[in-house]
Amino acid sequence: MPKSSTHPRHFIIVGVLVAIVTLVLYVVLERALPMPAQASLEALTIDWLFGLHMLVLSFLFALVVVFMVYSIVVFRRREGDDTDGEHIEGSTSIEIAWTVIPLILVVIFAFIGFKTLNDITRQDPNSVVIKAHAQQWQWQFEYEGGVISDTLVVPLQHRVHIELDSKDVIHSFFVSEFRVKQDAVPGMVTHVDFTPIMSTEEYLAIADRKGEEMKVRCAELCGLSHWSMMAPVRVVPENEFTAWLHREMVKVNPALTKADLSKTSN
Amino acid sequence: MSLMKLGLVRGLIGEVVGALAGVFVVMLIRAATGYESAYSAEPCWVIGLLSGSIGFLIGVGALTDWSKWWVGQETPMHHGPPVGQPAWTRYFGVDYNHKVIGIQYGVTGFIMLMIGGGFALLFRTELARSGLQFLQPATYNTVMSMHGWAALFSILIGVGGMANYIVPLMLGAEDMAFPRLNAFAYWINVPAIISLLASTYYGWDGGWTVYPPLSLRGGAGYQFVFIAIFLLGFSSILGSLNIIATIIRMRPPGMSLFRMPIFCWAVMATSFLQLTATQFIAQAFLMLSVSRALGMGFFDPAKGGDPILFQHLFWFYSHPAVYVFVLPGLGIISEILPVFCRKPLFGYRWVALSSVGIALVGFIVWGHHMFTSGYAPYLRVWFMISTLLVAVPTGVKFFSWLGTMWGGKLTFPTPMLFVLGAISVFLLGGLSGPVLATVASDQPLQDSYFVLGHFHATIFGGFVFPFFAAIYYWYPKITGRMYNETMGKIHFWIMTPAFWVMSLGQMTAGTMGMRRRIADYEQGLAGFVNPHLGTIEVIHMAITLSAFVIAFGILLMIYNLFHSAEMGKVAGSNPWRSRSPEWQIPSPIPEHSYARPITVVGEPYDYGLPGSYVTMAGAAAGDD
Repeated sequence: MPKSSTHPRHFIIVGVLVAIVTLVLYVVLERALPMPAQASLEALTIDWLFGLHMLVLSFLFALVVVFMVYSIVVFRRREGDDTDGEHIEGSTSIEIAWTVIPLILVVIFAFIGFKTLNDITRQDPNSVVIKAHAQQWQWQFEYEGGVISDTLVVPLQHRVHIELDSKDVIHSFFVSEFRVKQDAVPGMVTHVDFTPIMSTEEYLAIADRKGEEMKVRCAELCGLSHWSMMAPVRVVPENEFTAWLHREMVKVNPALTKADLSKTSN
Repeated sequence: MSLMKLGLVRGLIGEVVGALAGVFVVMLIRAATGYESAYSAEPCWVIGLLSGSIGFLIGVGALTDWSKWWVGQETPMHHGPPVGQPAWTRYFGVDYNHKVIGIQYGVTGFIMLMIGGGFALLFRTELARSGLQFLQPATYNTVMSMHGWAALFSILIGVGGMANYIVPLMLGAEDMAFPRLNAFAYWINVPAIISLLASTYYGWDGGWTVYPPLSLRGGAGYQFVFIAIFLLGFSSILGSLNIIATIIRMRPPGMSLFRMPIFCWAVMATSFLQLTATQFIAQAFLMLSVSRALGMGFFDPAKGGDPILFQHLFWFYSHPAVYVFVLPGLGIISEILPVFCRKPLFGYRWVALSSVGIALVGFIVWGHHMFTSGYAPYLRVWFMISTLLVAVPTGVKFFSWLGTMWGGKLTFPTPMLFVLGAISVFLLGGLSGPVLATVASDQPLQDSYFVLGHFHATIFGGFVFPFFAAIYYWYPKITGRMYNETMGKIHFWIMTPAFWVMSLGQMTAGTMGMRRRIADYEQGLAGFVNPHLGTIEVIHMAITLSAFVIAFGILLMIYNLFHSAEMGKVAGSNPWRSRSPEWQIPSPIPEHSYARPITVVGEPYDYGLPGSYVTMAGAAAGDD
């Protein structure tokens, strides 16, 4: 090993190790931190961003840990050596470098963060509008024509706009397969948008599902039965959705005619 | 020796008497104004706890000197243990010596750490398997909520311990600027703790964040918690005031701000945060308390209030508070690292100013806790950018630590191991932050176990590991004896891997869709089995087992500390060959720490250069 700690050989070895560790970490993290099925367009955007974060995280983690472990191994005190280390107080140019480079990274991530946020909050005037009413400890979904359902039924490949309100305390609308989460706050209406891209049928066909469908789960502590505040989610093809909605609308208001229905439906 | 001579015993009696008096007065008023029943838990105990706390402070004697001043009596400063009593009794009563108060804080913090950890073990045992086993949801909610505040008490009090013990020593000062205020700020924590622990009797289910309207319903336990935190806030504000005054006014000749030991910088930044932010949580909790007691509608939409307003007030304190938790710990890392690397702290000024930078940025990021709350959507962009900015000063710290290690001559006694462990764990916590800072990737992870993994890593890396490093490092200075090195290393080597498993396990569960704060989870959560790690239940089992291993490690540490206080090798004044002033005086430190005033003549971390950091008046140059 070279005597001087600023000898280029140290940095070459560390550089190679950082590259290797970054790759290994990235592969491990991808397997260790799995996301549920990607059942909405938002899931694609969010998982891409998550993956990007994991890549940068792997690199930065490798950078710090490799430098640290390398120092622990190479710069440890030898037996019988009581002298001090090299007297280096710091370096302004290095400090400026490791202030400015992270700053650039921050600007890049702020830009990406802004773009992805715009992407997942995209508003579509043709969205199916569903009102979700939260209360301790149940969900209720209201569709046009006064249709009320305990199951969240949404059309495949169609933008959905959920309007949330709460009767009592704060709840949170969370469907992990859609990667959406939005609090339902008493006294105000909040909203969240998503586009389902995987039908319940396809979802259940994936191995290891054990017949469990997607669920809305409350993600904001709301008291005694918070843990069990869930509602099933059913994603169906658009024509099936329309047919279902029409059937339900007629149940609410038997006077509705076919003509009325085709006017009101999406 | 009569037990009544112990301030703590008198204080507890004062607490009981005060509380009963308060309850009685409320019952009298209720009876007189025609309520059906004179006793009602909530109003009675709100007043009872407040009067009980005053009773405690009177009983313990924290107000004695001040009340004498009021009537014009002089109260000379008493040094040493109470007259005619054994030395240990001074730790159980009001004592003005900062070293005693530092130990009182430190031990109380440690006890709260065990209580907070105990609550965690309780509900982790429940969560090891899917299905409700022994904790029913109501109990689970209380236990889980208690874990949060008990652990935060432990951190705030533990930070107070490190600051009180170490800062005056590093400044070569006789004591803190205001010794009586210092004792008062410590003792007010005790009624706060009593109030917090008593809340379990009635129960409360809001988690440590106690968001209304949930916290406006539910058990009377909430009021106990509000009062506990209100009292703890007093301690934070008064303690930080004292620290700031001490650092600004009591430095020795020659110690310019940029020649202070780096830990003092960290503590000063922390203290400014505590002094300016604590009022917000006190106010928020006071508003909750009067909402419940008097029916005011600050946060109740039915009465024109706004539930989200509370979240703003809460996080305006509680985000800076996270930096209050970690900045002193990061200061400990920067302080101890050069000693065991035998090298100057790389970029001292940058490290010092990065603490200030983190503290300042810490004030403008609170909204990232509320990305899904429903406040004005465009604000999320701003909070995302400000949050990402925290990475810059934090990065400076990490890189400077690497610069300090590079080319040093490293040794690895227990304190150094905990410092290195702290760096690795805090790195995990820090790097999992940006994922939560960008709004889109935060959306599925908000309120999930991923967040749990993230902040347990920051808190363990920023507080628990450095706190343990500090205990091992200053132990020979405090007791005059060395802890058992082998046992210390075993503690490190079982606790660190266990923590990694726990924290990564939490993150994994979070990405799989596990929500936080739920009493039970379905076996097939998120409907899938991770092909590499197994079902959610396997991951939960791993988290629970790691929690128990960590607890075992901490028990080992306690045994080590007690055992070595009597059996340990005599340590000598400077076993670590540190340049810091407190290591130039005898161990254990005499009542008056510095027999002669010190003068700063060099840089704090000039390892590798001849000459010293401080000289003592009257001693010839090169004497030390």
